[in-house]
Amino acid sequence: MLVAQGPGDREDMVSLGRRTLLAAAALPVLPRRVLAAAAFPAVAERDAVIAFGHIGPISDGGWTATHHAAVLAAKAAFPAAKFLEVESIPVSADATRTFRQFIENGANMVFATSEYGDLLSGVADDAPEVAFLECNGHRTADNESWYYVQHWMVSYVLGVASARMSRSGRLGFVGSFPVAAVYGCANAFLLGARSVAPAATCQVILINSWFDPQAASQAASALIQNGVDMIYTNLDDASVLQVAERAGIKCATWSTDMRRSGSNAYVSSLLLDWSPFVVGQVSRRLAGGWSAGPGTLLPVGHGVDRDRWGRTVPPDVGAMADAVRTRIIGGWNPFAGEIRDASGRIRVARGQSMDDAACDAWSWPVAGLTGLPA
Amino acid sequence: MSMLSSLLGNAVLSGAVLALAGQGELLAERVGVLNLGVEGLLALGGVTAIATVAAGHDPLLGLLAAVGVGAAVGCLFAAATVLARASQVLCGIALTTGGLGLAATLGRPYAGQPAAATFQPIDIPLLDRLPVLGPALFHQSAPVYVAFLVLPLALQLLLFHTRHGLVLRAIGENPAACDAAGIPVVALRFAYVALGAAIAAAAGADLTLAFVPSWSDGVTAGRGWIAVALVIFAGYRPWRIAVGAFLFGLVNALGYLAQARDWGVAPAFLSMLPYLATILFMVLPALSARSRPATTAPAALGLPYYRDQR
Repeated sequence: MLVAQGPGDREDMVSLGRRTLLAAAALPVLPRRVLAAAAFPAVAERDAVIAFGHIGPISDGGWTATHHAAVLAAKAAFPAAKFLEVESIPVSADATRTFRQFIENGANMVFATSEYGDLLSGVADDAPEVAFLECNGHRTADNESWYYVQHWMVSYVLGVASARMSRSGRLGFVGSFPVAAVYGCANAFLLGARSVAPAATCQVILINSWFDPQAASQAASALIQNGVDMIYTNLDDASVLQVAERAGIKCATWSTDMRRSGSNAYVSSLLLDWSPFVVGQVSRRLAGGWSAGPGTLLPVGHGVDRDRWGRTVPPDVGAMADAVRTRIIGGWNPFAGEIRDASGRIRVARGQSMDDAACDAWSWPVAGLTGLPA
Repeated sequence: MSMLSSLLGNAVLSGAVLALAGQGELLAERVGVLNLGVEGLLALGGVTAIATVAAGHDPLLGLLAAVGVGAAVGCLFAAATVLARASQVLCGIALTTGGLGLAATLGRPYAGQPAAATFQPIDIPLLDRLPVLGPALFHQSAPVYVAFLVLPLALQLLLFHTRHGLVLRAIGENPAACDAAGIPVVALRFAYVALGAAIAAAAGADLTLAFVPSWSDGVTAGRGWIAVALVIFAGYRPWRIAVGAFLFGLVNALGYLAQARDWGVAPAFLSMLPYLATILFMVLPALSARSRPATTAPAALGLPYYRDQR
């Protein structure tokens, strides 16, 4: 109802919303893919509206800042197009409301820069003429797809270096929720560490949020109290690194170069660069011929990579991890059997290996990892 | 540093915010005004402190700015509740929601960024060498010492060992009688409500300059409400507020330590612990209230004072 009744930016958008609503009401049994076309028609740049919904504030210096950089790149590439950007959208019904507002404001293309799942797909189903892209999403439809990065590969490389930076072999990880992105990140990190130090362990703490500096810093303190001397985190901001710096231990982060927040603790970061992908997708949407297609995983070196090593990382440690990185770029898959889970069961048999799809859907902790549900 | 020592240290650090906010609330409640706006004051104090250190790079300056903003907002609240005699409950809730919203708006440019300057730990000579307790209790920042030592001591002396304190407590019990005795009820209520709000805002500065240390929307995480509950739990006594705040800090720190040590409790349950403790701590004094009337609320708490109706 909101779509039809709200004041739209332009009259035609209001009627379009109404038409969509009527179509949906009149044909409730028809599958939606019949209504939607496979390829999207072109949009003139000056008429185009591209919307971005972020999980955190663009000032976080991390995850959302990298997505904001992609928005700025797209703005520079298409100066006549209109860009909408909303920050700090909670994972709740507020998200659905925000995405519906994008449609109401005439968006031709909507980027959700974090996983919103059903909160987004419900809106996508009701707006078949709008293209939807969800970062770290898992659903594809005629007008919706997802994009993400091979973060497990870089996490493995960071794990190799981290094992050498830890004296005790007790590693820590601060994550958000028990979701595939966290399993994949923590598992790959520990597998990388165990390739160097087979006895290494990793303790995970989840803080129930992607952006909550006060919970993140308390979680990091608790890990340090428990004897951890190297922490990896895929949270959005630098608070874990700050705690590590104060406690005199080491830390690796996500998203951006965060060494400013703790130059002694900083080992490296999993750097993200969405700009080429986002600009490419917007370009295809404007030129016509955009279709949802399968999801996109940006590979190491093209959208995701490790950062320049921190100043306390010895050159031989950096070189050793970089050698692993080079092998991965050359096509080597480090996630080869045998891999056991935390209960000791063999999950990947000798001679087999985990492909990208398996890593992107990781749902069990590897041996030596505690704190994530089995 | 041993695990126990750092657990205690974290409990003290985490509890200091509650101790400060609780002492501020105590002042307002002792003169008979219930201020439910502590959560909003924490947020406003926190964002003021972050914005000030971003410009001035001095944590003390940030704390003073937060105190100033807290006093100003406290004057507004006192004008509404003491002068205009509006409902204290409604004004408090308005202060909380308004303060949180305003702080989120003002804090947008700073969200997620590390504080530009933070309070550094100060060692207390000799005491900091005590085993376990030394590094936990005597290697803390200045606001922590104020929250747990200076302020409780000052308030204890003021409220229970001076004539002025007797007057303040009497205003909370029976403002009409005080008025008849020639005590400026309205002026004193106004002053102490504003002072209490200033201390609550200082707690916000402690949160964003010493404990977290950065600003983000929702960084207060209900601590203001816990502080209000803490005052009741503590039976309106400064020292008990300090002890109670430490207990809350301990519960909070234990929740994360339980995850770090993998005790097998669901993380969602552990994050709930401080709030669960709040409910427990509210029930406990209620059970013993009948046998100890000294710990009950000031008789005139929450009631606006009308001179013409005495």
